[in-house]
Amino acid sequence: MKPALAAAALAVGLWAFAALSLLSLADWPGLPWRAESLGIDQILLTHGLMPRGAVALLAGACLGLAGALMQAVLRNPLADPSTLGTAAGAQLALVAATIFAPAALANGALPVALAGALAVTLPVLAIGARRGFAPVTVTIAGMLAGMLCAAVATALTLAQGHYLLSLVIWNGGALSQQDWSGARNLALALLPALALAALLARPLMVLSLGAEAARGLGLSLAPLRAGAILLAVALSALVSAEVGLVGFVGLAAPAIARAMGARSLKARLLLSPLAGALVLSLADGVLLTLKALGGPSLSTGAMTGLIGGPLLLWLLPRMAAQVPPGAEAGDGRSYRTAHPRRVLALLLSGVVALSLLTLFGGRGPEGWGVIPAALQGTFLPLRATTITAALAAGALLAGSGAVLQRLTANPMAAPEVLGVTGGAALGYAATVFLIPAPGPLALALGSGLGGALALTALTALALRADLAPARLLLAGLAIGAFASSVLAAIMASSDPRAWVVLGWLAGSTAQVTPTGAAMLAAFALIFLVALIAAARWLEILPLGAPVSRALGLPLTPLRLTLILSAGLATGAASLLVGPVSFIGLMAPQLARGLGLVRAASFVTGSWLIGALLMCIAAFGARTATFPYDLPLGLVATLVGAPWLFLTLLRSTAA
Amino acid sequence: MVTRRALLAAMAGVVAAGPARGATGPRIAAIDWAMAESAMALGHPPLAVAELKGLRRVAASLPAETTIDLGLRGAPNLEALSLSAPDLILSSSYYSFIQPQLERIAPVLSQALYVPGEDPLPKLVALLPVLAQALGDPGAAAPVLAEAEASFDGLAGRLAGQERPFLLLEVGDARHVRIFGGDSLFGGTLHRLGRANAWTDGTQFAFHAPVPMERLADFPEAALVIAGEVPVQARRSLERGALWNRLAPVVRGDVLQLPEINAFGGLPSALRFARELVLAAEGRG
Repeated sequence: MKPALAAAALAVGLWAFAALSLLSLADWPGLPWRAESLGIDQILLTHGLMPRGAVALLAGACLGLAGALMQAVLRNPLADPSTLGTAAGAQLALVAATIFAPAALANGALPVALAGALAVTLPVLAIGARRGFAPVTVTIAGMLAGMLCAAVATALTLAQGHYLLSLVIWNGGALSQQDWSGARNLALALLPALALAALLARPLMVLSLGAEAARGLGLSLAPLRAGAILLAVALSALVSAEVGLVGFVGLAAPAIARAMGARSLKARLLLSPLAGALVLSLADGVLLTLKALGGPSLSTGAMTGLIGGPLLLWLLPRMAAQVPPGAEAGDGRSYRTAHPRRVLALLLSGVVALSLLTLFGGRGPEGWGVIPAALQGTFLPLRATTITAALAAGALLAGSGAVLQRLTANPMAAPEVLGVTGGAALGYAATVFLIPAPGPLALALGSGLGGALALTALTALALRADLAPARLLLAGLAIGAFASSVLAAIMASSDPRAWVVLGWLAGSTAQVTPTGAAMLAAFALIFLVALIAAARWLEILPLGAPVSRALGLPLTPLRLTLILSAGLATGAASLLVGPVSFIGLMAPQLARGLGLVRAASFVTGSWLIGALLMCIAAFGARTATFPYDLPLGLVATLVGAPWLFLTLLRSTAA
Repeated sequence: MVTRRALLAAMAGVVAAGPARGATGPRIAAIDWAMAESAMALGHPPLAVAELKGLRRVAASLPAETTIDLGLRGAPNLEALSLSAPDLILSSSYYSFIQPQLERIAPVLSQALYVPGEDPLPKLVALLPVLAQALGDPGAAAPVLAEAEASFDGLAGRLAGQERPFLLLEVGDARHVRIFGGDSLFGGTLHRLGRANAWTDGTQFAFHAPVPMERLADFPEAALVIAGEVPVQARRSLERGALWNRLAPVVRGDVLQLPEINAFGGLPSALRFARELVLAAEGRG
């Protein structure tokens, strides 16, 4: 309890510092605060800072409660409005409404945000239901949906030119207020929500004994689960509508509540809102103080990502693995093909055929068609560059996904999920900000090193627990959230260099030079050769550390080498694709689905499927909204996500 | 070479005598909007422009119907660009990261027009002779510049009664605004009109974004100039908001509303801003 009290005192102190540096206590007005009779500084206090403090507490509490409810219902310590895609859905709906139907926002943003939040959360939960709400599966599905929404929202923002100011604000999660309406709306929702949560605590506790036990006690599960989830989604949507995107609070708050000693579910449901309120208030207090001291004004939502990530990484080793035993049973068993060579040959011919098809065919100002022979001299080099780069990037991402899945013996491991692309994004941003006018090679190295660094940090954290899946995922999520909050802060800062980072987020193939594409392709081929050479190790590693050691593998240097190469490959690829694509997750999944089980054919198959997927994606990015190129990573996600969903669903039936 | 280009032009649906082509000048494509507007002012409209849809919304003068859209400015469609077969591509320092790719298609004329901390208007003025030279029509700049200077002088005279400094802003939502500094097109134009910009702090990117609404309380003496429509979700709160309605300029009625103007435009957009500002100020006075 003591650290919590200290944190509360610090939050109050930070707010008070900002308030007192605005207006000395003697000048604080007495109630009632009528705007007509107050000076402008007094209004800034009573209609600005005071409601802002209240909003920080209330929005934090809402998110904390939402996270605790989701975790209780799903029996999943990873669930929260960010990891289930709820917040991203609300965000996407708000961005889309701002651009296409601003009139829908005239009567408040809540209905729009709620519709978006539900539209994303429900399908995620539907997939989860097929697999008995296995935590890792639900989280992956949610993150997939969430990252997809965020990518679409970014694409929409970029397509408008990022000048559309309200979009930057939705992205930022800014808490600044100019009256009490936001605080009032949040309070009006939070109080009944708390009462409802208290009512739900007992039945949810029964639920935590397991579905069988709950049914035995005569509890009807579906309405209970649906009600609690609906409540959590509504709370999250409300926060999105009032202050924009505030990540990570709902994930951190229940973890903090547990660390503070909340053993029973009821205690967690009550302590989590408190913890959430504390986290958000602290974050906002730090920003207010920074501003009062003449520092820059940053957005609070981006800030919670900054403190949320490291906080979670710190909490991680102190937490028992929360995944209920047997919950991941759905991941076992796999089909094995008798003819891996035939499958690989088919894949290879698919890659070649598709490359040639999209090289000569496509869409121009005149519509669809094949390039006339007279124009091929101008066109083919341009298109060949794009296609080569896309193939190489897909292969690199898929290859590193395959390595990571073997390394961690975790079928859900992927550069995107493990924070590697997040690290690559940070590396890219750092290169842009540290080196004046960086060239492509510097950028590739920067993002590659960023990716490798993120992965090294992650392994250092998780190795102690021998890479327990839940732990690894949670750490990866934290790194990813940290990276995206840094990117959001850069985006909101409007520094001219942010323009370069934004151009990269758009992930267009237009920026590749022929040399760059050739280098990327060479790297991809070297990577494949290295993977095949390392096939024996990749066969043994998933069997666990004791077996590997017994077979004489130099475990630590081997792991480090694999990690470094996966990080570099991801970094180089994300230079072209941007931070989100899910090719690294999807391609190995599909390879396994095709029955490529042995390490050599698994990595080769993943490599080929990655190239294939990215080739389709590049074609879509080029043609779907011609002449407006779509972000390659976004299209790649759109191309692969349905297949991945199908894979997730089908393996349940097995 | 000539046959290929003719074929490309036909392929791109551009008739040789189309309005997008100057009588003698080279075929030009523009990535940057300020460059596109400047070329149009010189009587050499680009036959292809990036983000044409967006430009039509804010441009000082509308591009021709036959103009080809090149896609996003930050990620122009190189295939569409090469199909339009330009002799010259107009770009700016914003897009320097794609310049190597543009140079593979045609020579690029790139200028640093918007530089943090520097008034863009002199750069936009200096651009015209350079651009006219590059377009092979060196005589085109002088009359355009003379007319612009005359317009500025006339407009400055009509603003002479206005004592207060202007605070140039764009409303983002009920709680945030963006403020344009001296290194923005609007700030530079204000300077040319001989009026003071109330925002004297530095900016990061021609504007300072997004600034919480409460910062407006620091400028009780200024007249507020709102560039562009107020977003629908902000209107109601502006009508009723305690802070907004207690701001000294709002209480005095010192608020000017301008239509959406290309904030990163060329000289034509600067002139348009000046005209709209004077009209709004006179309408109120």
